[in-house]
Amino acid sequence: MSGMSNTVNTVLGPVPAEELGVVSVHEALLSVVPGAEYAFDVTIDRAEIFETLAAKLRDFRAHGGGTIVDSTGMFHGRDVRLYEALSRATGVHIVASTGQGPEELLGGYFLTPQTNPPTPWPADKFADLFTKEVTEGMVVPRVERRGAAGLVATTATRTGMTATDESLFRGAARTALATGVAVSLRYGSDAVHDLDVVLDEKLPAGRVVVGGLDRADAVAAGAPLETARRGAYAALDHVGTEGGEHITDAERAALVAELVRAGFGDRILLSAGATGVAKGHTGNDLPYSHVLTTFVPLLTARGLGDGDVRRILEENPRALLSVR
Amino acid sequence: MSRVNTVLGPVPTEELGLVAVHEHIGYGMPGSELDTKWWKAPEQRYEETVPKLRAFHEYGGGTFVDATGICNGRDVDHYKSLSAKTGVHIVACTGFVGGDTALPHFANAGVDYLTRQFVHEITVGIGGTGSLAGVIKVGVSRGGRMTDLDKRIYRAAARAALATGAPVLTHLAIDAENAITIFDEEGLPLDRVLFGHVDDGVNADRTRDVWIAEKGGRIGFDTFGYETELPDPPFWARPRKERLDHFLRFVDGGRRLKQVLASADANCSPLGWPGVKGHTVNYIFEDLIPDLRAAGLDEAAIKTVFVDNPADFLTLQK
Repeated sequence: MSGMSNTVNTVLGPVPAEELGVVSVHEALLSVVPGAEYAFDVTIDRAEIFETLAAKLRDFRAHGGGTIVDSTGMFHGRDVRLYEALSRATGVHIVASTGQGPEELLGGYFLTPQTNPPTPWPADKFADLFTKEVTEGMVVPRVERRGAAGLVATTATRTGMTATDESLFRGAARTALATGVAVSLRYGSDAVHDLDVVLDEKLPAGRVVVGGLDRADAVAAGAPLETARRGAYAALDHVGTEGGEHITDAERAALVAELVRAGFGDRILLSAGATGVAKGHTGNDLPYSHVLTTFVPLLTARGLGDGDVRRILEENPRALLSVR
Repeated sequence: MSRVNTVLGPVPTEELGLVAVHEHIGYGMPGSELDTKWWKAPEQRYEETVPKLRAFHEYGGGTFVDATGICNGRDVDHYKSLSAKTGVHIVACTGFVGGDTALPHFANAGVDYLTRQFVHEITVGIGGTGSLAGVIKVGVSRGGRMTDLDKRIYRAAARAALATGAPVLTHLAIDAENAITIFDEEGLPLDRVLFGHVDDGVNADRTRDVWIAEKGGRIGFDTFGYETELPDPPFWARPRKERLDHFLRFVDGGRRLKQVLASADANCSPLGWPGVKGHTVNYIFEDLIPDLRAAGLDEAAIKTVFVDNPADFLTLQK
């Protein structure tokens, strides 16, 4: 919120925004389904995890990448001390996120608290929890706080936003207003509806990125264009994932070209949604460099110039992640 | 061979002594670890916990059964150090306090997976601690009706109990018809189940303790001390005399003494809630046993409730 603030909160501290380079905004480093850390058949070997993630980050850097955003929030395997060591070892900037969601991924502390009746947490309490992760630092549970979160990320339930999801979204928006970090949201069944919930908190649309807009249902509904029209960032964040619920990379390239033609080149973000190391689920085993190595040539073939590509990969995420 | 799994290894049942069968070193709802308002330094945790366990030992307490589920801040390494330094046997559990305290990895799991989790913790170990779980915790989610997830956990617990010989300890005995149906379907004898919290202030009126006992279940009056007379009682508190009368009515002049167990369900150092000031495991010695004596229970009856019944219950049936 200060006048000084063209900086971005990385796990190693604030970094001038112009140093980020190419940014991938929706990735996962260590991704652990809540509870899997206690499972008899899950092993968490941090040395092995470090080695795997470091190799993937070095590959990203070797292909021109500068910054990875772990947008999985505070309760899906986030390991801040590991990320600090990874950033130091590889030279890749790492932005970690606060936030939680959807409802089904929350712990009982938030859903059935020890009160009578067990009323789920309201927006203000989530806002307070998330805000402190920016102003006081991200938690290493029951041990200490570390550096500031660089983003507040939340997700709505796939079948449609629940009441608790709405509290999470409003809490995330209030966090962004209080701290100047941006909101990353993954919509449930209706991208524009879910975006409007955070905009209803008077958060400027330019402080929001909507993920999952390369899902076929969102594309069919015109949600990428509508998101950009509202002034939010539209993230095609499953680049490299084709079939099933997602459009193909060829279709993604066409969509990017269409948005650029419509004048929204400054609202587009790209990411692979890769999972560095997954525990308790299969993850998405793509290299973080996939956008750079495989997708950028498709954009070039579509007629996008270097300036357009640079804007999408560098300038847009820089503006999003700069603390305002 | 008679054996019970404690966090420091199996011990002979004969060594258990007086047992507090439903207690917590520290309990917190899953996710509470993210909220710094509850954090305590390790120094404070030991300061809050060690004197209570030492007093428990000096009063003649032998064994402390920790009923904190997998995702509720269960910390077996901590229990091991406490047990080694205070001389109190600590039994840790596998399982969940209720479906609403199972995190998504387990909440989305089927009966077979949950069974394997429980069996592993009883026969191979809990995480990397090397300690074996001695009881299986199950429970009814908030709302007083068993959810589908609660039922999967009960069924998995029954199968793990049959496979390992470990007993099952429940959080709440409300909706026992559904619980007993599952145990019957799985073929688990009901004397391997302690139906806990029948004396809970919220649910006692709707808990069919006598019916469960007639079916062969063991009955836990194990929230002794959560009294409305406390300066700041929790919502599950109950008037002291009402609970004691309930206990005496259930025991029925000794007729059901063999089926009843008692405990205080106190937290030594709560993890994700303020706890209840003035309530500790030592309520058993400072208040409950004197109350029972005053009500006419002789020393043999007290030994039955606090030594013999828990020994039968906790002994691995293998």
